[in-house]
Amino acid sequence: MSVTSAAEREELNRLLIETGRNDQKAFAELYKLTSSKLFGVCMRMLRDRGEAEDVLQETYTTVWRRAAGFDAAKASAITWLTTLSRNKAIDRLRQHREELLDDSTRLEETADVQPTPAAQAEASQEYRRLQHCMDQLEPQHRDWVREAFFTGATYNELAGRCKVPLGTMKSWIRRSLLLLQKCLGQ
Amino acid sequence: MNTPAHENDDDLRYAEYVLGVLDADARAAVARDIESSPAAAAAVAAWERNLLPLAEEVVDVAPAPYVWVRIGDALKLDAPDRVAPRKGLWNNLQFWHWIGIGASAVAIASVMFIVTLPRPSPAPVSVSAGYMVSNIQQDNGVTGWTATIDLQNARMVVVPAVPAAFEPGRAPELWLIPSGQKPISVGMIMPDKPTTLALDAALLSRLGLTAVLAVSVEPIGGSPTGQPTGPVIAKGAISTAPRAQGHPARVANLSHQRGNPGQT
Repeated sequence: MSVTSAAEREELNRLLIETGRNDQKAFAELYKLTSSKLFGVCMRMLRDRGEAEDVLQETYTTVWRRAAGFDAAKASAITWLTTLSRNKAIDRLRQHREELLDDSTRLEETADVQPTPAAQAEASQEYRRLQHCMDQLEPQHRDWVREAFFTGATYNELAGRCKVPLGTMKSWIRRSLLLLQKCLGQ
Repeated sequence: MNTPAHENDDDLRYAEYVLGVLDADARAAVARDIESSPAAAAAVAAWERNLLPLAEEVVDVAPAPYVWVRIGDALKLDAPDRVAPRKGLWNNLQFWHWIGIGASAVAIASVMFIVTLPRPSPAPVSVSAGYMVSNIQQDNGVTGWTATIDLQNARMVVVPAVPAAFEPGRAPELWLIPSGQKPISVGMIMPDKPTTLALDAALLSRLGLTAVLAVSVEPIGGSPTGQPTGPVIAKGAISTAPRAQGHPARVANLSHQRGNPGQT
């Protein structure tokens, strides 16, 4: 599902809070509503179904244990959950990057999970705001910010993929981040 | 004491952390900052609010039903109230159906196995969502057995590609080897015809795409030690059956769908 409407977000917040009170039904419902999104994120980064399944399992076992620490005033449930799964996927990538990237057969498996700009009608207000600011970036820099976000690659790896010096890639991304912060802060 | 310049550097580092470009050491350093400094935690959270909406672009991918089974087992969760008291795996599976993850349960129940024997190539098997498959190959790459795992009914059908010959008093035993763990016996299998094996909850929870299946040569009654004692003659990676969503699809040449069997 796309978790974009205010009502959907509220429902997820409620389910995550209930999960924090050891409500197993709420946890099952939360999994049902969010696992496809989180699994999509993991698949995109890890490009391997088995690895993505392991990370998804780790993510939700952590959700169950840490849900009591969720504070809806600080972040929405979907941001909290997506952040958790991204962090676990990135940690997994850093553990054994070479093995995963060595196997070209895995690229085919994820050919159908390339991110695409969300249709305007479905996109959240926050997404549209970010997109507006992304549009202000140099197109090439924007592409590498996106590549970084969706693949979890390090600066080194990005520089290698783009065939530019490490310092160039760092400066593109850092400049982009500062511009985004300025734009989003307005 | 942080000067404004340092604060800016830190903030950029937190942005880089959220974007995901830092290496393992730099990530660990930020994670320590988040634990020890509320200001750092707030700065990271602000960047998460800024950047995470990008994840809305990622295409949803439904995970296989066994992932939820594994989560439930890992956390020792109960079935919900509306399901009869847990009497083992079957009720557990009803629970997973109830929450809608095994959405095509009815379709699965009506799926039929179509097995052709003998064949030199992997036996084509009718599959649908809720199945995993493994092409258990000998060292020379020739398929020894094809395993089809029916998650909803907690059973596995193991079909020899070609009848195999064993010394008197020896027989093939099938093992599940979860990644980085000891082999677990699935059961004795027939060298020359299909075998159906029931899978208990412990086995089912360890089935996953990073596990492999292997066949070793054991005494007729099975390994006396609980671990393989004879040579391993075939092994294979486990993959999900194509998601046919109720439309049976043919599966063949599974070795092309995954990398090297046993190397995951």
